[in-house]
Amino acid sequence: MPILDVHNLSKIYEGKVSTHALNHIRFAVEKGEFVGIMGPSGSGKTTLLNVIATIDEPTSGEVMVNGRDPRGLGRKDKALFRRKELGFVFQHFNLLDTLTVEENVVLPLTLAGFTVKEMENRLGEVADRLGIRTLLDKRTYEISGGQMQRVAIARAMIHRPSLILADEPTGSLDSKAAGEVMNLLAEVNGAEGTTVLMVTHDAVAASFCHRVIFIKDGRFHSEMYRGSSRAAFFQNIIDMLSLLGGAGHELPAVRL
Amino acid sequence: MNFRQFAYRNVARSKRKYAAYFVSSAFSVMVFFLCALFIYHPAISQDMILGAAARTMMAAEAIIYLFCSLFVLVSVGSFLQSRKLEFGILLMHGMTRRQLKLMVFLENMMIGGSAILTGTLLGLLLGKLFLMIGSGFLGIEPLEFYLSWQAPVLTICSFVLLFMLISLLTFAFIGSESPRGLFRGGGRGETEPKVSGRLALLSGLLLLAGYGLAAATTATTVEIMMFPVVLITVCGTYLFYTQLSLYIVGVLRKLRRFYWKHTHILTFSGLSYRWKDNGRMFFMVTIVSAVSFTSVGVFASIHTLSRELKLDYPAAVGYVAKGGGYASPEKRDLQGITAELERLGLPYETLRIPLKYAAIVSQTGPDHTKQLPLMSYSNYKLALRHAGFSSNEPPLEGNEGLVMIGSQRDRSLTAARFKATYSLKQGIRIQEIGYTQHVPIAEYLLPELDGRGGGDFSGLVVSDSLYSGIVPVHQDWYTGFYMEDFPRTAGVASELAATGKVPYEAKSPYAVVISGTLFEIQRTLYSTMLFASLLVGTVFFIAAGSFLYFRLYMDLDHDRLQYSTLSKMGLTDRELDRIATLQLALMFFVPVLLAVLHSLFAFIALQRLFYLSIAAETGAVLIGYLAAQTLYFFFIRSRYLRNLKKNLI
Repeated sequence: MPILDVHNLSKIYEGKVSTHALNHIRFAVEKGEFVGIMGPSGSGKTTLLNVIATIDEPTSGEVMVNGRDPRGLGRKDKALFRRKELGFVFQHFNLLDTLTVEENVVLPLTLAGFTVKEMENRLGEVADRLGIRTLLDKRTYEISGGQMQRVAIARAMIHRPSLILADEPTGSLDSKAAGEVMNLLAEVNGAEGTTVLMVTHDAVAASFCHRVIFIKDGRFHSEMYRGSSRAAFFQNIIDMLSLLGGAGHELPAVRL
Repeated sequence: MNFRQFAYRNVARSKRKYAAYFVSSAFSVMVFFLCALFIYHPAISQDMILGAAARTMMAAEAIIYLFCSLFVLVSVGSFLQSRKLEFGILLMHGMTRRQLKLMVFLENMMIGGSAILTGTLLGLLLGKLFLMIGSGFLGIEPLEFYLSWQAPVLTICSFVLLFMLISLLTFAFIGSESPRGLFRGGGRGETEPKVSGRLALLSGLLLLAGYGLAAATTATTVEIMMFPVVLITVCGTYLFYTQLSLYIVGVLRKLRRFYWKHTHILTFSGLSYRWKDNGRMFFMVTIVSAVSFTSVGVFASIHTLSRELKLDYPAAVGYVAKGGGYASPEKRDLQGITAELERLGLPYETLRIPLKYAAIVSQTGPDHTKQLPLMSYSNYKLALRHAGFSSNEPPLEGNEGLVMIGSQRDRSLTAARFKATYSLKQGIRIQEIGYTQHVPIAEYLLPELDGRGGGDFSGLVVSDSLYSGIVPVHQDWYTGFYMEDFPRTAGVASELAATGKVPYEAKSPYAVVISGTLFEIQRTLYSTMLFASLLVGTVFFIAAGSFLYFRLYMDLDHDRLQYSTLSKMGLTDRELDRIATLQLALMFFVPVLLAVLHSLFAFIALQRLFYLSIAAETGAVLIGYLAAQTLYFFFIRSRYLRNLKKNLI
């Protein structure tokens, strides 16, 4: 059974001119998969992520996370659903600046009412895995962007959610930090079997995925599997992007 | 769009930001105007007794004005602080510093000018109502609405001056920071609050010491203790907000079992930041509220005054004809008083008793009395019976003497006073063995003993046999007019004593006390003070609310971002409500509750000065303020939550 099953998902924004943000999107993500979603600006990536995150309601179609359909739940139950099943990584990290690094990481567990002992155990595990043990006592303004994103990943995975949703996780990082963060995310995905769904513009980041889904104008366009070489995968992604227009639109589709 | 329009739009389009500041300023202007209306009302300014009321109101005006200057200065300062980024953008686009200052000045004057206008107009609308309430407080005939030219001129001129001076003063805030510095702005959470355990401990000790000393003061020490105790408490309060409270949160933070539990982690970490940013404001709110609670509470105790007066003035009208060298007008004066009382239709009893003055050679103790007034025991009993007091004091024997107290509040001073033994010129010794239970003859009618510790002790009661053996230097005659309804004697014998009393020490052949007139004067004074302190207290209250509003408004963007992250992570609405409510409640009520605690201890200390309990009145005042604060809390809370959730998912 897939962890995430998106079935005929459509989203129409009503207004003077109604927009078809998502148009019969359909795909599934298996447990332990690392899936990227790419597409030009305005293709509906963020809307898709929001609908999966239960933050936005689909107009039609359904999203099943871990066999459950959060649609139709009340606000409170949706919140509890997100708390249990989902982890979030944001472009701007969105760490809480009033908390220390350590407190930011354990926050999902405190909300869920874990015991202090259990929280400390898990904190130790995640901190070691993500190499943030030395940062734990620091405040969020004392650490670099790459470190912040690592902390955010720790926060997203500490409660062992079914699915981690990452929205442009490398968007605010320099290329070196971005590479480190993506390596870590891929490693966590490989070692822990955490399922990750990532929206990105960045072909380098996308090349870490097992599979990249391309959407355009709210429709499923194509998908691409990695194969053995990341370099070849990167080149394929670049080619696909220039074909789609958008990020690589200044490049011709066929290079001579 | 010209420059003035630009400045106008800057203000008009951030109405929300300035709303509370505007309301608070306009309210202060209104109260100032209303007080001026009262002061310059012909019925007030031309009346002798009410003149004192006008002076009290003048003092209230001064306090409001001073406070308002401070309030405007602090508010404008924080507005400028919050607009750093905007100023940076303007400077980048080539606005000169001169233009920037002009813009800020224009904006300030626009807000100030409209506050003055609104306040004065509202004052005009509410003028009649205010005069009615004012005259109700003073217990006089309702005042006609009368607009003297002084009231609006004084209000408008002084506030225009205030806003202008402060706008000019705030140029110092704009300073010469480079656009780059302005762009960086003031980030939140940039620095960890600095807390030292030692200072936190000191704060606790100072507060405890202040409270302990306040509770331990006696009537004799209250005047000496007042200043240091207030100073200690103020310092303690400041450290409480900047150190102790943060220290407590710091300690809680280490207790993972508590801190890492559900939403505590969010509630207390957010609280610690709000506290750090607003500690000084909370301090100001606390002190200002404590002062206004205390003064309102004290003046609200006016109702106990009449009970107290009845005990201190056994005879509604007391008259002493001085013997020795004076051509006594006694007969004529007493006839005059009798005639007046009869014209008023007041039933009364009279008592006329002699008082002998004995020459003293020496006495023990620190004092040096020359002439000692003496009263016989049977006359003392007679005086008590006429006043309707009952006492079980046993008859005096031998050379024993009871010191006559001049008012019941002297009772608190008796413990510290030395009991003297007097050697009379004729060779008799009289020993003070205690104090009379009641006041036989009111204050002012007898010369006071030459006491160092204050109080109005005046002469001794001695046994009849001792009394009859005294050879007096001179002899006075005391006449008392006793009646139940003493307040009605207000204005009686006004040609003898216009202000209700001629003390014994005055160079006059007689001493007289009319309790009704004294009561009237005191009541007017206290009522005005109560009225004035209520007004000032309300101005303080609204200003404190405006500070809170502005701080919350400034934090709103940050809080919104934080809560939207949390809500994505799965924070439920109820949890969000609970966190925000708890934080707001602590911000709203900790300063007020601390102020209540401060003023409670102030009342305990002041209780030593007032003979009768003032607990009920004080309680009513405090409950009133708490109720108002609670209403304000719920209002702000609902607005804040609505704003927080506006673009939440």
